[in-house]
Amino acid sequence: MLIVPAIDIIGGKCVRLTKGDYSTVKEYFEDPLAVALKFRDKGFSFLHVIDLEGAGNGYLVNSDIILRIAKEIDIQVGGGIRKYEDAAKLLNEGVKKVVIGTSVFENPLLVRDLIRDFGSDRVIVSIDIKNEEIMTRGWKENSSFRLEKVLEELKSLGVVEVIFTDIERDGMLDGVNFEFVRKVAGCGFKVMIAGGVSCESDIEKLSEFGVDGCVVGKAFYEGFLANNLAKRIVPCMDIKNGRVVKGINFTGLKDAGDPVELGKYYSANGADELIFLDIMATCERRETLYDLVRRIAENINIPFTVGGGVTSLSDIRTLLKSGADKVSIGSFAIKNPDFIKEASRQFGSQCIVISLDPKRISGRWKLFVNGGRVETEVDAVEFAKQMEEYGAGELLINSLDRDGMKNGYDLELLKAITDSVNIPVIASSGAGTKEDFLEAFRAANVDAVLAASLFHYGEVTIPELKKYLNQKCIIVRI
Amino acid sequence: MIQIIDYGAGNTQSVLNALKQLDIEAEVISSARELADGCKLIFPGVGAASSTMEVLKKSFFADVIPYLKSPFLGICLGMQLLSDFSEEGGVKCLGILEGKVKKFSGNVKVPQIGWNKVKIVNSCDPLFCGIEDDSYFYFVNSYYFDTDPEYVIGKTNYGCEFASAVRKNNFYGVQFHPEKSGEVGLKLLNNFCKLC
Repeated sequence: MLIVPAIDIIGGKCVRLTKGDYSTVKEYFEDPLAVALKFRDKGFSFLHVIDLEGAGNGYLVNSDIILRIAKEIDIQVGGGIRKYEDAAKLLNEGVKKVVIGTSVFENPLLVRDLIRDFGSDRVIVSIDIKNEEIMTRGWKENSSFRLEKVLEELKSLGVVEVIFTDIERDGMLDGVNFEFVRKVAGCGFKVMIAGGVSCESDIEKLSEFGVDGCVVGKAFYEGFLANNLAKRIVPCMDIKNGRVVKGINFTGLKDAGDPVELGKYYSANGADELIFLDIMATCERRETLYDLVRRIAENINIPFTVGGGVTSLSDIRTLLKSGADKVSIGSFAIKNPDFIKEASRQFGSQCIVISLDPKRISGRWKLFVNGGRVETEVDAVEFAKQMEEYGAGELLINSLDRDGMKNGYDLELLKAITDSVNIPVIASSGAGTKEDFLEAFRAANVDAVLAASLFHYGEVTIPELKKYLNQKCIIVRI
Repeated sequence: MIQIIDYGAGNTQSVLNALKQLDIEAEVISSARELADGCKLIFPGVGAASSTMEVLKKSFFADVIPYLKSPFLGICLGMQLLSDFSEEGGVKCLGILEGKVKKFSGNVKVPQIGWNKVKIVNSCDPLFCGIEDDSYFYFVNSYYFDTDPEYVIGKTNYGCEFASAVRKNNFYGVQFHPEKSGEVGLKLLNNFCKLC
């Protein structure tokens, strides 16, 4: 099956829309030609180039850049091709195929004439469907045409290849609607599918349906196919006097209260990383903590973060020296933001995790300190930005509203944070079901999800969670 | 016996722990004078390029490393310092593998933190013996090594495709942390320790 990366152009730039809605336009790259060359370097031989402005206006607007791309790589071009002369110009100047959408309905003779003069392999008809209705004019208007009737007509015009776009899925990164594919595959044309192609399993399944090709857009720009960095699943253990608190309920563990045993259990069972929080950290007890960290480090070989009571550079140094990979800092960062500057400079951003306890108060999120007991006037989103600027490597976002509620993460809070910073964000507080984890990744774009008792009690196991997320096109390490 | 370079800020303990799990004997050294003849060397790095280069110069490692003939493995920053130059602090590095260390750019979060796939370019290389293509390894990095494709034995995608494992003669470098990459990471360390 042919995989065809898409380049959509508005104002000479490479953009993507969501569900074809022009108000959602997101610019990715200044120069579509550079993007095309990148795809070529990656081994793609054919691209789908759409003049989105053209589609809306009814005539090609970005033909200069499109023809420059056509000189470098084979492309099919669509968007606003409604006149014979426009199509002929493209085909004569190096474009392999023209994609005809709206005009098929308004001016069927255009398709017939192009096929007559250039051959049926150089004209591809695009049928865009939203809720079972065929849309035209840059997906802005719905037509009253019935699909079966249209396909019959296309046959009589000599059309051999059709692109079906599922507008509801386009730019959503949530997978292909295979019900839709079932309807259009095997219609007697060469079929290309667009809309929703998000991961490798989508592509595999499409080829099982006998589809000839698929157009992939946003997945190349920001999704599954853009990078393979897995979303992380992180169990969190609360430690008191060197023991795990919050009941743990696993069979087969000799001592479920032993953080080392539990750490080994989790790392053997799919956890990507572990967090240990010393909830009673005091000066006298720190030696116990360091000893514990040493024992954990000797026994597991996945990364782990330790938090609780860090108030000095020497605390951090000792934790790292004992074998922690990262240190989580909470209240002390809020009371002494400059400390984070110093800590990240000394030890590197990669090991400084800032843990925040926000609570929603009159329309914004205020940070709390001292284990969530003391309210401050610090705004969570603003503080997150400040911490990024000061060199924090990662943010762990709890929610005092959701903690222990099992009614889902605070997606609004998480989204407000991920929209404001460019460092990884770990979602915490509120997970109750597998769907909650999925939503945190999809709706709030977090990088990792944390849960404690949900995993400890085996209500959700990490392998089954990962299997579920994988089916939903979230990339996880399996 | 494996020697591990300690420059004061690295995570030597994690590497020692991993080798201990593999029953491989290792010692930590902090000056080039302690280098034992014919010993394999691991250089694990976290932290900043410029301050680490300073330490390498003071401890005479910078003078000696380029001339080593035994297998050498640079991890993370330890790999980046094999380059000519790092944009991180604009510092001249060991100059063993041609190329430059650059910051990630584009549509990705920096630092890259987490598990990413390694595409094995040269499956004949003994470092990857028994390791499946597209295995996940643990990465923590804001910079990557842009080197000659000739040296690249493993590639990873993060906004751009970058060299996640390199080799020139006896010099190996991995951008990921094998000591933190679970079973597959231990396998890779074991492969390195078994090189002749």
